Amino acid sequence: MPSVSRSARVKVLFFGRVRELTGLTEENGEIREGATLGDLLERYIQRYPQLAGFRASLVASRNQEFAAWDTRIAGGDEIAFLPPVSGG
Amino acid sequence: MPTTPESDLYELVRAVIDPATLVRHVRAGQDGAIVTFDGFVRNESHGRATKYLEYEAYETMALAKMREIGAQVHEEFAIHRVAMVHRLGRLEIGETSVFIAISAPHRAAAFEACRFAIDTLKRIVPIWKKEYFQDGAIWADGEIPPAAPKAKPAS
Repeated sequence: MPSVSRSARVKVLFFGRVRELTGLTEENGEIREGATLGDLLERYIQRYPQLAGFRASLVASRNQEFAAWDTRIAGGDEIAFLPPVSGG
Repeated sequence: MPTTPESDLYELVRAVIDPATLVRHVRAGQDGAIVTFDGFVRNESHGRATKYLEYEAYETMALAKMREIGAQVHEEFAIHRVAMVHRLGRLEIGETSVFIAISAPHRAAAFEACRFAIDTLKRIVPIWKKEYFQDGAIWADGEIPPAAPKAKPAS
């Protein structure tokens, strides 16, 4: 029997330019357990190649806190890929 | 999570911001000074005439970050109360997008705290501004927040 790798269910949120480029505001996703925020972004870039040009300007958040790209994702996480902020 | 005094005020709003209310909110008998920052919509951007702006936010995280800035302000400056409000949605030229009022017994702390608060807000709070012109619209350049949880400038 093939081994089934466990997956983590996450909520992903989209804002600003990332929201416009993907046409998404929020979606539930699944990714293999142990995957990083960077892995998840790469998946979205494959789905939405138009994101690739903005990769360097994005930062990730995990559960409403800025997080490094090598942060591992856990089930139930709320994740967002944030474009440069311009409040004020 | 950092905590802020109950008497502070942190809000994201869609209606017009009334600076007088916020100034009143932070004013108390023990204070001798209030410093405010009123950020409002400019009529041009890089030489192009602006028609209006639209702000959006990652609301729960934005509020958490605003409170975090408030907590840091209380920790680092001898101030009394903070009111920090950012407006979202469509804003016309001249309308206030962000207002900060900080009271303190003495002016120096209020000036420094207010400057720190607005500078940090612009750097780390997840809010985005789209600028609409006669011939199109663009997302404002913005700043890339530091990825580390602590948002201190790396000077």
